[in-house]
Amino acid sequence: MTLTTPGASVTIASRRPHPGGAGLTAGRPVSSHLSKGTCGSHPHGGGFKIETDHAALIRACASGDRSALKTLMEAEGGRMLGVARRMLRRADLAEDAVQDALVLAWRRAAQFDPSRGSAKGWLYTILRNRCLTMLRQEDREVSSGASEVDDTPAAQVLASAHGSLETSTGLRQCLDRLDGATREAILSSYVLGHSHGEIAGQTGTPLGTVKARMRRGLLKLRECLS
Amino acid sequence: MTERSLDDLLDEIALGLASAEDQSRIEAMAAQDAALAARLDRARQRFAPLDDTAPVLPLPQGFWQGIAARLDGATDLATTGSGETAPASGMVVDLARVKSRLGRWRGTALGAIAASLLLACVTGWTLLSPPAPLVIAVLMDAEGEAFALIESGADNTTRVTLLEPADVPAGQVMQVWTKPDEAGPPVSLGLLVEGSSRTLSISGLPAPGARQLYEITAEPAGGSPTNLPTGPILGVGLAKEPVL
Repeated sequence: MTLTTPGASVTIASRRPHPGGAGLTAGRPVSSHLSKGTCGSHPHGGGFKIETDHAALIRACASGDRSALKTLMEAEGGRMLGVARRMLRRADLAEDAVQDALVLAWRRAAQFDPSRGSAKGWLYTILRNRCLTMLRQEDREVSSGASEVDDTPAAQVLASAHGSLETSTGLRQCLDRLDGATREAILSSYVLGHSHGEIAGQTGTPLGTVKARMRRGLLKLRECLS
Repeated sequence: MTERSLDDLLDEIALGLASAEDQSRIEAMAAQDAALAARLDRARQRFAPLDDTAPVLPLPQGFWQGIAARLDGATDLATTGSGETAPASGMVVDLARVKSRLGRWRGTALGAIAASLLLACVTGWTLLSPPAPLVIAVLMDAEGEAFALIESGADNTTRVTLLEPADVPAGQVMQVWTKPDEAGPPVSLGLLVEGSSRTLSISGLPAPGARQLYEITAEPAGGSPTNLPTGPILGVGLAKEPVL
């Protein structure tokens, strides 16, 4: 008697650690077949970086250690604020989002399971979800505080994000193989938090076309990165 | 749902394009399904390098205090002043400080302490007197040796006690399975990541019954990628109801 499915095939490669992550979870940042040929000896990152063991800090949070949360904030808070600012485009909302995310991380720390993903990724997922929720609410509720709105053109923010992706990373190389409109759409959704509808509106493209284009692009990215 | 469209959906969750409904449905499924969780994590990791392209902005003054004041979860009140010296043993001390500082919070604080004590008592009582399991299964290995003891409650909280040191290759984990429906597919109850005995919990399954099959297999780290057992069987057995 067995539960095993004889023909079940293993199609998925092992989990890849967060490419930018410092600390214990940092692993090979680039899959080898993607790195050949370009910038072979490109130095990764710049300068010294204090190693942060995000997973250990989250575990410590789960046991009630506030200093661990503070260390996490000191290590990631500035970057988190940058991520939130790009999406929410307002300093006050971005600060709220990061504080909310860290409080949520504290409350959910016991649910963090390192076998199910990287610790840094877990933290940024909480932050991104919080930002997206606020973005979708903002449409209805908040339009005041115009002075605090960051009016950097979206195209410039995207170009900066794209340009800052190291050319040695698989994501950069695979994004660069997409056509410009598809790449912009994918970057707009991740970096700016734009919905299909917003992307359609901004580019003057029918919604169905945007959705189909992005799905094709995402499929190409998966194939390229696999 | 085809594999293709699941991949699309996972990517759309990673990008933030999926509806809140789809996202919470998949996240709830992933919480019980290590393989799906791993796929979702992979989708997110694909785009994670973009997080690192965001500028690092300075945190404003008082940022930590704003967070620390909310950690007890009960209130969003802004505690003022030198709030950074909270010791690790947090809760009672913090409530005492709030209480002494703000008389009007006293009732809340005392209530919270009382609730904590009650919770501690209830938790202690529960731990000291676990409910009798609904079913018990002894899983045997290929040599017929008892490999693990399974005890499951009506809510499918499953205590797995290993009886033999596990012989799991490096890079693999033990995954516990059951078949709630004899004719249906096996369902993962969870991983024994540490390689030691532990209690697993899962929701959404019917209460276990006699003759229900339990099995532990060795799977790639993170759990079976297909969400069905793929690795060698370390122990297998049928449940019985204890005579009480």
